[in-house]
Amino acid sequence: MRAAAREEQPGAPRPGALETLLDRVSRGDRDAFESVYTAVAGSVLGLVRRVLRDPAQSEEVTQEVLIEVWRSAARFDPGQGSAMAWIMMLAHRRAVDRVRSAQASADREHKAAVRDHSPAFDEVSEQVERRLEREQVRRCLGQLTELQRESVTLAYYRGFTYRETADLLGAALGTVKTRLRDGLIRLRDCLGVSV
Amino acid sequence: MTADLHTLTGAYALDALSPEEAREFARHLTECDVCTHEVAELRETAARLALAVAEVPPAALRARVMAAIPEVRQLPPPGRVADVVPLRGRAWRQRLPYLALAACLVGAAVAGGVAVNAEHDVDRQRTQAEQQASDLASLMAAPDAAYHTTAVHGGGNATVVSSVSQARTAFVYRDLPKLAGSHVYELWYSRKGSMVPAGLVDSGRPSGTAVLAGAASGADGVGLTVEPHGGSKQPTTSPLMLVSIAG
Repeated sequence: MRAAAREEQPGAPRPGALETLLDRVSRGDRDAFESVYTAVAGSVLGLVRRVLRDPAQSEEVTQEVLIEVWRSAARFDPGQGSAMAWIMMLAHRRAVDRVRSAQASADREHKAAVRDHSPAFDEVSEQVERRLEREQVRRCLGQLTELQRESVTLAYYRGFTYRETADLLGAALGTVKTRLRDGLIRLRDCLGVSV
Repeated sequence: MTADLHTLTGAYALDALSPEEAREFARHLTECDVCTHEVAELRETAARLALAVAEVPPAALRARVMAAIPEVRQLPPPGRVADVVPLRGRAWRQRLPYLALAACLVGAAVAGGVAVNAEHDVDRQRTQAEQQASDLASLMAAPDAAYHTTAVHGGGNATVVSSVSQARTAFVYRDLPKLAGSHVYELWYSRKGSMVPAGLVDSGRPSGTAVLAGAASGADGVGLTVEPHGGSKQPTTSPLMLVSIAG
């Protein structure tokens, strides 16, 4: 149970766990922040790029998200969920805010084809290919109905509102709302997620 | 809680509501514990979708972020007294001087070089590199992976990633200075004060990643020393870095 995270209990997180690192970050610990960077930068960038498409904008937003983690680490509440979920929420919100501004939306479609990486990869994160995670998520997405899967992935990976998602899928608003919820619940159970 | 509002937990967790709807639903959450718990679980689920699309960030991004943060003022905790420093965190920091001392004492003992067949070594290293990449991927994906970043004495810094469930540890290093002559960086597991060799760091590159050799079970720390060519069976110099990985 995450709520007990800060108490001296057998279930308390280990000193290097993300939750504990964020606690140290909130007190200005730059080493702890660099650890957090190593742990999350690849996932933040991957998610932001799914939503924004444009590589330059994605890097810019990823940088903003990571600085936001530094700035607001004290606002992380372990009682509300994991540090990873909190950081990915910050990342998704910021990416979605960016993409929903009219200018960015126009750019996104134009630049959607431009997907080249800059050549100098970060040696540190080069290996952070979460293959197991990828396989498990793919398997669990495969267990959703087509409408559940499309609703969830359009909303999360593309940043569409449920109204836009309903338009794209030609489905009723109420149906998409419901599919987003029951699709995520089925994913939650398949991935064994608990809070 | 109305049934209709409750169905919005999914859309809310995925940021798929309009700003007005999101504000209204957030108000609703303050008085609906069931919805709040469900949103938390669905957000946790969404985060897993993010982990599954992780990419390789460019090296320059780390540099830009690390250069920016000293200028960024941090927010105070939201209207409550700051939480006490976790005691466990303090405990492991206090153990470090003991680890350092143990490593120095052991260092005086043996300076045995290991004879290696150079040709055989190349093949072995290639196989090892492939094995390492896959080991590291599963290590980083472990839900209990813990990250410790520290400066390396003499230059550069490192992050030690360890996971109890995977019984493995990785050493992620940046900007390690080139060593004089044929000296090498050697990694060590510390177990109750004794140092166990855990492999050499690829000397060709200032930055990279090494998965520690041998099982991590029972280890309480990871150390790094400079050793003669081929490495040593026990440390012969004082450690440039010691990180506790004790759970």
